[in-house]
Amino acid sequence: MAKHLHEIRDPIHVFVRLSSDERRVVNSSPFQRLRYIHQLALTYLVYPGATHRRFEHSLGVMEVATRIFDIVTEQSNVHARMHDLMPTSDGLRYWRRALRMAALCHDIGHLPFSHAAEDLLPDGWDHERLTIALIESPEMQEIWLTLEDGPLNPAHIVKLAVGQEKLQKFGYDATFSEWEDVLAQIITGDLFGADRIDYLLRDSYHAGVAYGRFDHYRLIDTLRILPGIGEDADRPSLGMEDGGLRSAEALQLARYFMYTQLYFHHVRRIYDRHLRDFLKEWLDGGFFPTDVEKHLQTTDNEILAAISAAARTPGSPGHDPAKRIINREHFRLLFDANRGDKDRHPAPGQAVYEAACLEFGNEQVRHAVLPGKIKQYDFSVLGHDGNIVAARERSDVLSTVPVATYDYVFVARELIAEARKWLDTNRETILQPKEEAN
Amino acid sequence: MDRLQRAAVLLSLVEHLRMEQSWCGETHVQKATYFLQELAGVPLDLDFVLYKHGPFSFDLRDDLGAMLGDGQLALQPQKFPYGPKHVLGERSSLIMHLYARTIERYRGQTEFVAAKFGKMSVAELERIATALFVTQEEGAPSDVEPRAQRLHELKPHIQLEEARGAVRRIDEVISEFHAAA
Repeated sequence: MAKHLHEIRDPIHVFVRLSSDERRVVNSSPFQRLRYIHQLALTYLVYPGATHRRFEHSLGVMEVATRIFDIVTEQSNVHARMHDLMPTSDGLRYWRRALRMAALCHDIGHLPFSHAAEDLLPDGWDHERLTIALIESPEMQEIWLTLEDGPLNPAHIVKLAVGQEKLQKFGYDATFSEWEDVLAQIITGDLFGADRIDYLLRDSYHAGVAYGRFDHYRLIDTLRILPGIGEDADRPSLGMEDGGLRSAEALQLARYFMYTQLYFHHVRRIYDRHLRDFLKEWLDGGFFPTDVEKHLQTTDNEILAAISAAARTPGSPGHDPAKRIINREHFRLLFDANRGDKDRHPAPGQAVYEAACLEFGNEQVRHAVLPGKIKQYDFSVLGHDGNIVAARERSDVLSTVPVATYDYVFVARELIAEARKWLDTNRETILQPKEEAN
Repeated sequence: MDRLQRAAVLLSLVEHLRMEQSWCGETHVQKATYFLQELAGVPLDLDFVLYKHGPFSFDLRDDLGAMLGDGQLALQPQKFPYGPKHVLGERSSLIMHLYARTIERYRGQTEFVAAKFGKMSVAELERIATALFVTQEEGAPSDVEPRAQRLHELKPHIQLEEARGAVRRIDEVISEFHAAA
């Protein structure tokens, strides 16, 4: 007898189970391509274990999203003010299937090396827009319409996979029902989204960085759909029971540590820059294609082979950055803005970068900066007494977790000793802020 | 206008909104910035699209997030169900000092926007900002009724009569701005 449930072993979730319909999606060319897209780009050059791919992450997001869905729709967990939100049991079955498919597909538009060179897409494009194009592609449409358990509307999968903000940004129909909005939060939510939960756990595991661990079992068990906060006060939103607050604090701390220790590691950032410099020269016209077929044909494999060839061939496009990647001749860290620098100057890295370019030449210097980003600040917490409060009222930890940022300046390896002496001599002058000219 | 000049103008706007007793939540800052750019003509180079609560700029949200991360702005949490208030952060004075000329250049527009819209609720701001959005969509002076219809079509929870009121109000504010300029 044919099997209808299939298991895949996973180091984070032990088993990820798939229906035969879901296996068709996993076997599709957009999903199989994810086997060849590193989750963390060239981070494995710093953390050798970080060789995992978007493929297993996407399976993990489906698993986590399903656990969240099952918890928040469990009858005894539905808040009195949210009963009207819940679909019928048939509706729940449909949306559970749609959510799982959307979770599987949420990353299929990723470029080679994930986020490392995403700005090499033409204006108006990013990986989510490619995800939409792939979900709506003929190959996937054929799957959505011929599923054994009944067809799924691809528009629903798109909504849940990328969320309202991205659809609005790209000019698609971004009208979401409250229910669709909550389901999209389950996958893409800034605080408790399945994507975030899985990548923190998985990246931490593979990189060997213990900071990313937190009690996700407790966190998920306490998630609830509750009235939102602030401008979303009238809309249902993902919140939690009071008993899960410590696990939410642990997640926020894990996030902070993972960003500062892993994602913002300075050597990782400069490898991203060398990779981007290579791609800028190597790609046709300096940009990734947005055509679905060409996108499917481009993975890390083709680009790694090209980097290897370019590194061996002086004069070939991207030879210098390729050589720096292959031979580990990456630029070295000259300046890492600290708190004092930021107190003195509103853009310290930019000031050092501009001065270093004048001293050593633009080609010898790189600047990598990411200001902190706060998207969602607060969430609703259901107290033991049945009242809802703001999480920040209940948790001092949430209010004090710092925002992770970086502001690095790098110089060519061969100049680093000279550049450090130069910066020691000139640091005070360079970081002296200037009032704007008339 | 570069990123730091824009940050200085936004800090000045938050300061003036606070002086006008604005709640200064995300919607208040978003909509006031929209008025500052689209009504008062301050060249902030932000793209606004119609979103959940009227015109909204994702670029502005990123800017505000960065300013929070850099300590130029701070958030004061409030009791449920209210969202946090924006206040000037510990590093606001440095940027406001360095970019005092930019702030001064747009002081009149900033004060006008804060005075006209600072005391409005989120619901009022949504109506009035969307009224300006549909007025600009028309591209030329037009009657109240088609704009009110369009506003109601875009935001069905805003009743037609409320939409007419919002369109009339934004026409008055535009006239007042031109008279004051």
